[in-house]
Amino acid sequence: MSLKVDRASMAFTFKGGMLPMTVMELASADPERIREQLSGKLSQSPAFFQHTPVVLSVEKLDEPHLALERICAVCRAHKLLPVAVRGGPDPVKQSAWALGLGWFPPNDGARARTLEGVSTVEPSPAVPEPSPEPASTASGGRIYRGTVRSGQQVTAPDGDLVVIGAVNAGAEVLAAGSVHVYGALRGRALAGIHGDTLAGIFCRELRAELLSVAGNYKRLEDIDPQLLGTSVQVKLCDAQLGITSLS
Amino acid sequence: MAKIIVVTSGKGGVGKTTSAAAIATGLALRGNKTVVIDFDVGLRNLDLIMGCERRVVYDLVNVIQGEAGLNQALIRDKRVDNLHILPASQTRDKDALTSEGVEKILETLSKDFDYILCDSPAGIERGAQLAMYYADEAIVVTNPEVSSVRDSDRILGLLASKTRRAERGEDPIKEHLLITRYNATRVDDGDMLNLDDIREILAIDLLGLIPESEAVLRASNQGVPVTHDDNSDAGQAYADTVSRLLGEEVPLRFHETQKKSLLSRMFGGGRR
Repeated sequence: MSLKVDRASMAFTFKGGMLPMTVMELASADPERIREQLSGKLSQSPAFFQHTPVVLSVEKLDEPHLALERICAVCRAHKLLPVAVRGGPDPVKQSAWALGLGWFPPNDGARARTLEGVSTVEPSPAVPEPSPEPASTASGGRIYRGTVRSGQQVTAPDGDLVVIGAVNAGAEVLAAGSVHVYGALRGRALAGIHGDTLAGIFCRELRAELLSVAGNYKRLEDIDPQLLGTSVQVKLCDAQLGITSLS
Repeated sequence: MAKIIVVTSGKGGVGKTTSAAAIATGLALRGNKTVVIDFDVGLRNLDLIMGCERRVVYDLVNVIQGEAGLNQALIRDKRVDNLHILPASQTRDKDALTSEGVEKILETLSKDFDYILCDSPAGIERGAQLAMYYADEAIVVTNPEVSSVRDSDRILGLLASKTRRAERGEDPIKEHLLITRYNATRVDDGDMLNLDDIREILAIDLLGLIPESEAVLRASNQGVPVTHDDNSDAGQAYADTVSRLLGEEVPLRFHETQKKSLLSRMFGGGRR
């Protein structure tokens, strides 16, 4: 929460955010091989290579020293903008910092998804997106009939979750896709738990303790009181949760 | 076969034991052979409410551990012939209860009785889970306040998942809502949750509404279940509750403030 300081006098504010980011999982440390593959991709989908920020993941490599500077140069030559390095031993971390790049600890593996070719990569913020429609995956969705009660947790790990009933205080509903509640939402609702920023939350009566889409959340006290009790949709716009009335 | 009914709530002090005693008495007064079991091992109260505390020799844990027969532990109520009490142990804790032991007792009692009421301890731990595990129906006792409603909601979740019927995929437990200590004046003033809010959140059938009443405290201290006090509002409300449990349609009472008389309105007085 921002401090009570006059907004005009603030030079900046810090905000948490989860941006979609392309991870370049390196299987080879050879800059020449990387250059070859990138040249091929560039001719396939030139729209992707528009100074797209990428994170270089070196977790799969087992080399104490990398020609990081040369790899970065190859990327930049193909209009990819390395912004950070993920994983690797301490010397890699040090050289990343020396090159002005950030360093992330290795992924725990639970959420790791290998991206098969750049053409299937999630849109990066540099690429202008078409108007975001809630992504609803027909497969892996789940319909729950009845009241989700305090202490209960209902999850749709692969798709949308539809609750025909209320979600009571102290209950939690989670979905990889969107969360739809045909009743009062009094508990916690988390959509896009694997990072799907196009997921949304929809409910007939908003009383939620917590709303979250792809890690961006709002607590009950952050919600405009005028919207409480009404039928709403919750979507992510510009890394901020937007709640709009449906009635 | 007896119908096994658990009286439960999650939260303590909402009136589980009072309700179990009153409803068991009501069922027995209508000619049903009824036994009420105290599952609150270590914090025995039902015997006091039923006024049989001086006649306890053996208890539930003694029977489970084979130190006494079931008939030795059952106490016959002095006022109603059809009513029996199986007290809890005061010196043991809830770990002394075993699932197999409880099942065996309920099975044996099922042959002789029409209704078995299980008076659950507060909380959601072992004692409470064993009390509800074998139930066919549940009476969820709730006070008109947010913490009680939330705890009842939690219990309803457990009834739908941690019971024999749920685990075997049989017909779910029939859930009934019993609202106790309802004070219509304070509800109107906004100090307490109102009936409709509670029903909306818990979304189960309303079995009864017991008004906050001096008769309840008096009955507890005298060890006479309040059902015997047919002149009191609480006694009548429990009688209504029992009728509904037996499938009768009875209109709801005591949920609205009584109209003030002309005189008290003129003088603006009256108790709050």
